[in-house]
Amino acid sequence: MNSKYLHAIFFLLTLMPLSAWTQTVTGVVLDDKTELPIIGVTIQEASTDRGTITDVDGRFTITLEKPDPVLIFRYTGYTAVELKLDGRTELEVKMTEAAFLIDEIVVVGYGIQKKSDLTGAVSTVKGKDLARVATSNVEQALQGKVAGVYVSPSSGTPGAGAVIRIRGTGTLNNANPLYVIDGMITYDASLVNPEDVESVEVLKDASAAAIYGSRGANGVIIITTKKGIPRDRAYISGSTYYGSQQITKKLALLNGAEFASAYNDLKGNAFFPDPTVFGAGTDWQDQIYRMAPISNSTISANGGSDQYSYSFSGNYFSQDGIIKNSHYDRLTLRLNAEYKLTPSIKLGHNISHSTIREDAAPDVVGSAYRMPPIYAARDSTGDFSDPTFFGLAIANPAADLFYKSNHHNSGSRLFGNLYVDINLFKDFTFRSNLGIDRVKKSSRFFEPKFEVSASQRNLNDRLSVGIDNGNEWIWEQTLTYDHTWNTDHHLTVLTGYTAEERKFESLGGSRENFPGTAEELLYLSAGNDTTQMNYQGAGDEALTSNIYRINYAYKNRYLLTLSWRTDRSSRFTKANRTGNFPSGSIGWNIGEESFMKQFPWLDRCKVRGSFGILGNQAASSTYPSTGAVTSGLYGVFGPDESLNQGATLISLSNANLKWETSRQTDVGIEMGILDGSIELEVDWYNRLTYDIIAAVPIPDYVGSQDDPVVNTAKVNNQGWDITATYRKGGKLSYNFGVILSPVTNKVIKLAEGRNEIFSAFLQGEPATHTIVGLPIGAFYGYKVAGIFQSQEEVDQSPKIGGEKPGDVRYQDTNRDGVITGDDRVYLGSPIPTLSYSMTAGLEWNGIDFNADVVGASGNKVFNAKETFRFATYNWEQHVVDRWTPENQSLTEPRITNGGNNYRVSDRFLEDGSFIRLRSVTLGYTLPKTILSKANISKLRFYVTGTNIWTKQKYSGYSPEFANGSNSYEVGLDFGGYPVSKAIQGGVEIQF
Amino acid sequence: MKKSFILAYIGQVKFILSGLFIFIFITGCSNEFLDRKPKGQLTFDTFFETQDHAIWATNAVYQNFRSWQMCAFPWIGITDIISDDSDKGSSPNDALYVLELDDFTFNSTNTAFQQAWEGHYQTIFRANLAIINIPGIDMNEALKNRLVGECKFLRAYCYFRLVQWFGDLPLITRPLNSDEYYTQTRTPVAQIYDFIEQDLLDAIDALPEKSDYPSADLGRATKGAARGILAKLYMVKHDFAKGAEYCEAIIQSGEYSLLPRYADNFLRVGEQGAESIFEIGAVAVNAPVAGPGATPYNMIQGVRGVPNLGWGFNRPSDNLVSSYEAGDPRRQATVIYEGEVLPDGSTIVQHNSEVLNARYNQKAWVPPHPGLQDNGPGNIRILRYADILLLAAEANNEIGNTSKALDYINMVRARARGTNNFILPNLTITDKDALREKIYSDRRSELAMEEHRWFDLARWGRIADVMGPLMPGFVAPKNILLPIPQSEIDLSGGAIQQNPGY
Repeated sequence: MNSKYLHAIFFLLTLMPLSAWTQTVTGVVLDDKTELPIIGVTIQEASTDRGTITDVDGRFTITLEKPDPVLIFRYTGYTAVELKLDGRTELEVKMTEAAFLIDEIVVVGYGIQKKSDLTGAVSTVKGKDLARVATSNVEQALQGKVAGVYVSPSSGTPGAGAVIRIRGTGTLNNANPLYVIDGMITYDASLVNPEDVESVEVLKDASAAAIYGSRGANGVIIITTKKGIPRDRAYISGSTYYGSQQITKKLALLNGAEFASAYNDLKGNAFFPDPTVFGAGTDWQDQIYRMAPISNSTISANGGSDQYSYSFSGNYFSQDGIIKNSHYDRLTLRLNAEYKLTPSIKLGHNISHSTIREDAAPDVVGSAYRMPPIYAARDSTGDFSDPTFFGLAIANPAADLFYKSNHHNSGSRLFGNLYVDINLFKDFTFRSNLGIDRVKKSSRFFEPKFEVSASQRNLNDRLSVGIDNGNEWIWEQTLTYDHTWNTDHHLTVLTGYTAEERKFESLGGSRENFPGTAEELLYLSAGNDTTQMNYQGAGDEALTSNIYRINYAYKNRYLLTLSWRTDRSSRFTKANRTGNFPSGSIGWNIGEESFMKQFPWLDRCKVRGSFGILGNQAASSTYPSTGAVTSGLYGVFGPDESLNQGATLISLSNANLKWETSRQTDVGIEMGILDGSIELEVDWYNRLTYDIIAAVPIPDYVGSQDDPVVNTAKVNNQGWDITATYRKGGKLSYNFGVILSPVTNKVIKLAEGRNEIFSAFLQGEPATHTIVGLPIGAFYGYKVAGIFQSQEEVDQSPKIGGEKPGDVRYQDTNRDGVITGDDRVYLGSPIPTLSYSMTAGLEWNGIDFNADVVGASGNKVFNAKETFRFATYNWEQHVVDRWTPENQSLTEPRITNGGNNYRVSDRFLEDGSFIRLRSVTLGYTLPKTILSKANISKLRFYVTGTNIWTKQKYSGYSPEFANGSNSYEVGLDFGGYPVSKAIQGGVEIQF
Repeated sequence: MKKSFILAYIGQVKFILSGLFIFIFITGCSNEFLDRKPKGQLTFDTFFETQDHAIWATNAVYQNFRSWQMCAFPWIGITDIISDDSDKGSSPNDALYVLELDDFTFNSTNTAFQQAWEGHYQTIFRANLAIINIPGIDMNEALKNRLVGECKFLRAYCYFRLVQWFGDLPLITRPLNSDEYYTQTRTPVAQIYDFIEQDLLDAIDALPEKSDYPSADLGRATKGAARGILAKLYMVKHDFAKGAEYCEAIIQSGEYSLLPRYADNFLRVGEQGAESIFEIGAVAVNAPVAGPGATPYNMIQGVRGVPNLGWGFNRPSDNLVSSYEAGDPRRQATVIYEGEVLPDGSTIVQHNSEVLNARYNQKAWVPPHPGLQDNGPGNIRILRYADILLLAAEANNEIGNTSKALDYINMVRARARGTNNFILPNLTITDKDALREKIYSDRRSELAMEEHRWFDLARWGRIADVMGPLMPGFVAPKNILLPIPQSEIDLSGGAIQQNPGY
């Protein structure tokens, strides 16, 4: 039982007339399938405040006051039962596990709503339906679960979250959604243990998200954690899993002999007289990757009475990274509780505290990719190999791992809220909610003195430490009026005032020359004080808001929602501080109409439409309007070459900056067919983001280092969210679900007088070209027409100059007879035009099976790591087919180190489509008849595979990889920490 | 019962109202709650209020001379590499846009022009702020005048470089308002010259001589530096009398002398030494990020391979190497060859198969330093006394003071000669044209790889004569002026016109 129902009950209580008639009824509640008693079912007499719950044997006794009583039985996950007593005093009630909860309660911003009353596009994922992947956080577990929500597990770094885009990329700036965890607002949801989650609601359209105003434009994800359920004793459960992770695939690179042979071709001589002596050489990927364990254990207790309820959980998650020396673990404690102080006042809190430890490995993915395989990790004398012979700075990754892994971070986070609900007069409820978020992080990095080569050395040992503190509070006051007239008119009005403040501070320093390397010596004080450096930085921001919302329903058929939020942000100057974000939506439960009775197979059908305006505050920096004076611009003067402080304004600022805003239209239809066994939900949306904050290029003669940011660009996202599920209950129950999310992204406008932005420069040439009419960050470059097969062909063809037979022949797209920058064209989009997922589940005799498949298509991936050739790095395997006078390849150019063949072209552009078995689980739950003797109510064993099968065209580790926050530069693989696959086995037990 | 019920409600209402009151009190003075300022950082509305601010704002102008734009590829690219003194260097395919400068295949979109232009105008932006705002600060008057003088010198020097590269320029003398961003036009060269002249005359008035500075301020702009750049301006205008006059003022000031050893000018020992008239100070500290006092200047030109000191750009050209008089030791002091022992005797430069016919700029060489490769400690030499002596020789020859011209050029040759009397004999030519040629060629030998060559060729009107035969891509007269960055043309919507031919 959670607070949603209590809300509803309190609402009903206020309608109750007094009466003196009483009658006592007893009974038992059973699961219709298993015939086992259900514990904790709420039983309420309709239109009264009388209620009780079933005991451990599923039994109940209730005294009734109405002459012709109706009992309502409710239990989470089961279809509610309404029963007219008709004079009976002994009842046996069977409840059916809901195929679909038609009257499901959905958490919306600042309140809850019946799903049937919703007019906005809100998707719900129950905690138990989150993807069963090996992960520390909810973000990754959401992949493939909600239409219109694109989740890309960006990095295999232990503890890493995911990139989430709701309904496309709506801005050139920060496009991350807002998270609301039990009413507390944040942009970082990494603290939530997926097992603590009761439900996740995704507010996708303007109607649903507008109540979050200036932060709603990228969508809102509401995470509700598990609340206590009143029952006669605590409900204790434990779960644990242990698994092993490894890299999903290895990259195909040249082996020792192939490299030596390629090098000979590069030099045009037999530099290595016999390349075969190098054999397989060193596979540097083996030097950095490993099998790594992952484990997770949770224990929880849940219970309560009619005076209080509580839910406690403790969770320990531990993950070693697939790159050596990387590690993450987290201990989370959570206590959610609610206390009924008086019949009309409730006090509650949802508090979690997590402690994090992290070992950071140096970035070795790139160097392992580049390091020539003819070197061993260590040479014959036992020293790390120095690869400088082949030119510049390739760091030996084995040495980096050895010398640069003394890097430990730790942190803690206290996150939660405290609230009081007061049932004022009839129909009025006041809530005051105080949310807090306190983050502490510290880092220590010790780099010893070492020398592998001139470019991989550290002349002085150095310890760097840093401490970050963040402190945020939100205080919200809301007043809700809820009333029903003549059972036909249902009105809810919400008004509120909120204020919040966020502060952060960082402090750190470093020293060199430590007296030793023992762990206990590695504190700054032990270092040489003449080498000390330190820094301190801080920032803050504040927001105050008014919120209003009206929900009106007529006969549960005609629905109207209007909402409005006014935000005032410290990020903007007084004149632009206030932003207004209105929205409106209508819904029609057409299935309730009498003329629909002719379609008996149609259980319910609702059409809805919404329109609203949302803001994206995160698009701007914290102080975008203030002319900041930059210091540290030292002049060097005097015989000792001293640093003399220098400071000045180096860039012009824009005091007129205001909110980035988006306008969204949504039309949707929801259908339940054949007793709820088929559910279909389709939404079409159109989202136009305007006044996008972008740096507008101004002439360089103005002298501003950064271009001033202004509100200028427009981006449009249009797409469909399609969800279809089929469920069949019974002895053999199974379900299938399909989610399709096609989206098209288009830039409508950039800056005044400017219709293109080049970005992602590789060797001086841009790999992306954001231009009006194309997706954000569209790939841009030369097109390969073929390989020059002869000098004759070179002479007769358009060229850049300097090409030889075997070189890439680029397409003269403008047919001017030469290859210049003007021949570069649009090459493809980094944004998938379709992301999709499929879910299948099956239960039979205690055996459960579940599989989640996710995929995306229509996007390209740029293999940027391959284009860097500043020296003789290793090559990818396809180079063995290279053009030589003897092997006149039509696709693979002759071997070169960078240069014309490595210009930004479609040679490095690959298909980003993939389909992946995100998770597959096989479990077995022991029969209750056996367990009940041991006082165990549930015992389940399972095995889960995460990412164990992927079909991808991309040659890299995965088409899902980490990108920076810059929307102009996505889909470029520079070689980050790759995602892993894992197999884990676990057990769940409940008492 | 009912009464107490109502009372309880009233109690609650009171509780809520008082809560609301506190809440609104805290956040209600909404504007104060919402007025936030950057922390630990000055903001412009409180800057330029103290003497320290004036000093800092001035130091920040010097700092930008160490930026990539002002001392790395863009700088060496359109001074040395574009000239006959050097080639791109490095591995053949590294930084192709620099290769375009070398072989004149560039057009107006080449990023080197944009970066050089951007870097210099950013310095001008900082100088403008200081020049406009420092006078209003309540502070030591003498210091105030000096700081403004330093900024005027630096601003004039930026414009002087730009006008020699690009010709007519947008003349920006204060921070622009947003409605002026796109509307600037190019001011004719003559007016740019006048502006530079006035800034430098003001600077000469305001600045102390090198010896009058406190030791801790060694490296700031001096009267001598301002006179030197002004002398160059007059030489560019072919006003040789004034050029000679200002050179003479420097020579007569007694502030400067030639170092006994030519090569010392480019080592730590020569930094801010007796021969140095102006150079940008740099220092390397061991920092994980680009050092606060360092430059990329040494890194980009450092030996590529073994020892691994840098990227190996700016390769002294065959043309330069063969241009020296027989036995001129300045060649050896200018060029690092493969197989050569480095100046500190530390190691021998190895052959690098990645680089074609490797050669490196010895004047940019620095010994191993705590800044690692990319935080070079070498000061960037701008103006040496030898440069002024050669300019004096050139000016005096033009105005007929042949003997004075010979004296000055022979001072430079004698120092280069050292104790070896078999080389670089004193010149005795008196024919004006012949002597001019000798002065020109000695100037090349003395100042090679110090980023003077392109400006000298321009001043002499010889860019086309020299570069034309060397570079098939060279087009006269188009390439005598460099192209205005295409982005400036595009952004200004036609207000800025391109140089002819681009």
